Amino acid sequence: MGKHATWACILLIAAVQAAPAAEPLRDVIDRELAARWQQQQIAPAPPAEDAVFLRRIYLDLAGIIPTADEAAAFLDNASPDKRAQLIEQLLASPRYAQHQADVWDMVFFGRNPPGYDAAKREGFQHWLREAFAQNMPYDELARRMLKAEGNTAEQGAPMYLVQYIRRPEDAAMAVSQTFLGVQLQCARCHDHPYESWTQLDFYSMAAFFARLEMVKAGKAKVDNQELEKIYVAEMNSGDIKFTGPAKDAQPGKQGTPVPPKFLLAAVLDEPDFGDEFKNEKRPKENEPPLAPKFSRKDKLADWVTSAENPYFARAAVNRIWAQFMGRGLVHPVDNMSESNSASHPALLDALASDFVAHKFDVQWLIREIVNSHAYQLAATGDVSDAMPLSFERARTRPLSAEELLESWRVATRYDRLAEQQNKKEAQGRFSGVSFDYVRRFFGEPNNGVGDFQGGLHEHLYLNNGELGRLTTPEKGGLCDELMTSADEWPAKVERLYLSILSRRPSAEEQARFVEYITSEKESRNQTERLREAMWVLMTCSEFRFNH
Amino acid sequence: MFCPTHEHFSRRSLLKGLFATTAGGALMNWGSLFASPARADEVAKNQKRCILLWMNGGASQFETFDMKVGTATGGPFRPISTNVPGTQVCELLPRMAQQMDKLCVIRSMRTSQIDHPQGIHLMHTAYSETANVRFPEFGAVIAKYLGRDGAALPNFIKIGSNGDSGSGFLGPRFQPFNMGHDGRLPTFAQSPLNPEVEARRNGLRQFVEDTYAAKHAVETAKMHRAAYDSARRLQSALATFKIDEQWQKYEPLYGDSLFGRNCLLARQLVEAGVPFVEIGHSGYDTHADNFTGHKGLLAPMEQGWAALLTDLQERGLLQDTLVVWMGEIGRTPNINNRAGRDHYVRAWSTALAGCGVKGGLVYGQTDEEGRDVTDGKVTEGDFFATIYQALGIDPLTEHYAGSRPIPIAPFGSNVVQDLLV
Repeated sequence: MGKHATWACILLIAAVQAAPAAEPLRDVIDRELAARWQQQQIAPAPPAEDAVFLRRIYLDLAGIIPTADEAAAFLDNASPDKRAQLIEQLLASPRYAQHQADVWDMVFFGRNPPGYDAAKREGFQHWLREAFAQNMPYDELARRMLKAEGNTAEQGAPMYLVQYIRRPEDAAMAVSQTFLGVQLQCARCHDHPYESWTQLDFYSMAAFFARLEMVKAGKAKVDNQELEKIYVAEMNSGDIKFTGPAKDAQPGKQGTPVPPKFLLAAVLDEPDFGDEFKNEKRPKENEPPLAPKFSRKDKLADWVTSAENPYFARAAVNRIWAQFMGRGLVHPVDNMSESNSASHPALLDALASDFVAHKFDVQWLIREIVNSHAYQLAATGDVSDAMPLSFERARTRPLSAEELLESWRVATRYDRLAEQQNKKEAQGRFSGVSFDYVRRFFGEPNNGVGDFQGGLHEHLYLNNGELGRLTTPEKGGLCDELMTSADEWPAKVERLYLSILSRRPSAEEQARFVEYITSEKESRNQTERLREAMWVLMTCSEFRFNH
Repeated sequence: MFCPTHEHFSRRSLLKGLFATTAGGALMNWGSLFASPARADEVAKNQKRCILLWMNGGASQFETFDMKVGTATGGPFRPISTNVPGTQVCELLPRMAQQMDKLCVIRSMRTSQIDHPQGIHLMHTAYSETANVRFPEFGAVIAKYLGRDGAALPNFIKIGSNGDSGSGFLGPRFQPFNMGHDGRLPTFAQSPLNPEVEARRNGLRQFVEDTYAAKHAVETAKMHRAAYDSARRLQSALATFKIDEQWQKYEPLYGDSLFGRNCLLARQLVEAGVPFVEIGHSGYDTHADNFTGHKGLLAPMEQGWAALLTDLQERGLLQDTLVVWMGEIGRTPNINNRAGRDHYVRAWSTALAGCGVKGGLVYGQTDEEGRDVTDGKVTEGDFFATIYQALGIDPLTEHYAGSRPIPIAPFGSNVVQDLLV
């Protein structure tokens, strides 16, 4: 049996053992991880304190921190299952869908998607948000993106393929990496040196996307915005041609057409149209395109998203796991291969088979992960790795640009200020400061394999940038709330900490902050001191990371 | 113009530093090599520096240093004599022709990535892109080994950035400081605060960071804090980024161009102790109108470059400053039907000058029409090994990505000894 076949078989066996396990997945997670700790004599961190859990789960499920009132209510709640209750409450909130949409939009497009048209993709983002709000099964979500039916404004999903129109090689790379967790780029120019796939495998995948074109046909209104309706059209003819290794490429050499073939699987069985489409015209502009007689793209979508696909479910659970646990069980998450095996293979198998058994229910999977004891461990201790290899403590991850700005708005009550003052320019998710700057300085917090890469530049923004606009003493904001409150300063500092760090200060912190502010006697000067103190809490490591 | 061997870092001292770091945690290379004050002193004694002049898009070897006059591939330009008898360059480089005695031209580059993004990665890191390892740019490596910890100026500066590999697995500490093509400081570089207010605010912030650090040893938070400190220190060095006052005096030398200004800025920065500065110059991807394209691009470029070498020489800095000139690829011998030249990596040219390399040297040879290297092939690995050696950094120095050892120049690379003094 060849190397290909073995690899595929092992995965396939794992994927088809799909009977729902009697043991809840959260317990499987804890059992598998604990077994490793015991084996390697690793002492896990203690459980996270309530305030730590509170901030972590808000950021992970809602993409924002809690308000001071929400934080106080949770901390003062004596119910023994308050964590599970909070998880349910957040999973059911509209912020859950918004946050997952933000996370996955970055997976599917990144900060700078290829192609001009994908830069403006509110239609796609709207669809994605709705999909998570309805808890659309993950296989269906992926299938809609890959089949690309309808247009980019009203249906949204087709935008995914729009970024790869007329770039079949890039489409093959992206689809394999995103949905199957395998990286084919090496095989673009030569047979992969370490993995099973050959250059021909790569072009055989690219052949599925060789016939795609796009058609713009009018506009539609989505979320009060006029958006272009772009359709993905598929021709009946057109092939990808293979010319051999890039280093031997000769100018003018034509190459031979490559038939589409599923990665390490069967050649696509397609009808022979003879000369019927020999001189096929490109689809007409300004009208929705006709479906082709035979769609390669649809066949690929069905194969990719099938429950029997050896890669699909594993790639999905590995990615979702990493979203909450830091490191993928295979890491980086989109490089599953023979030479990069799973740290906890049995756990990955269990996640994948349970996910299939639960019909690709994303919310269920997230609920199981965040209810595990492992997820709820502390991130403290004298270990320097931000993404612990054995998951014996919580990971420390930087906040995304969206999380940072929206959390700053919650912390400073800028959202309330905007509402109270009916300020138009202050409303919307990202107003207050320029989101362009926030995106530029914080848009890519990781280096692509999960390592934090924020350097000196982000501090130029934090130290010298626009945060003063959020700490404004205008009516409705946190600064105004504290300055006009009848409380004594120790109580005000407690409120300050609850508002920004979602916890109560220690006695030492309280004393230090009270002194910092009240060393000035005049109210005007105290206001300035308070704004400085707000800035300190908004820019410190405790705020910058989710831990 | 020499770097005596005894001044090169010993491999042992480097490895010692690396092993100490390695033991510190899984983020191997993010530890602090310069925690040892002895090492920092060793470097500061006779600091070596590097300026990279990056020809983005890939300048043509036929229109610069490897002319093939009178052949099918030669193009329209004529060769001119230089201040090195017997050596000729393209007529588009009249000022550089007079700097030839400082220059070490390599006509025999043979590299492995023919497209821009891959080529830019390769010629900044010595490695082809892979999925699992984020390779650092050589600017980050030089920042690590030649930079000063705690300096007010960043150790790795890119003006008109090309390539985005940055510090890769070396971590945020060696990330480049990115300036625009116009040589201006990045947005928000300047603190708007009264220094007294900034100082007290900083005091409170340090207290908060101490509190967090007491319970959290995580490397990323340490990096965040260290980066904050360097952003603060930068405030005291902002004047080094300004050249307006000097420009009137230097404009005749450097030429009235952004590239010329950036060359003066780079000189000012290395003089102030910055170990690595890259200046990008874009537009060389001349698939069409290669000849008019190069005529327009090379004039300001070669004036700035020649001025930089002259200025460094006059200030006694050239012997410790390596000036590297290259792009990511060369251009095809064949001239296409749009009077352009396409991408080519079988045989192309780069040039070095200054620290540790011979001047007045042309190394390697290509065939009659410039289609292939006939003598002295230099791969990307050989090229970077030679650069590191010239700067006194052992090319066999290894970093670890996980448990995988990764030498700064790939395994099997050879230092081209003939180029070194």
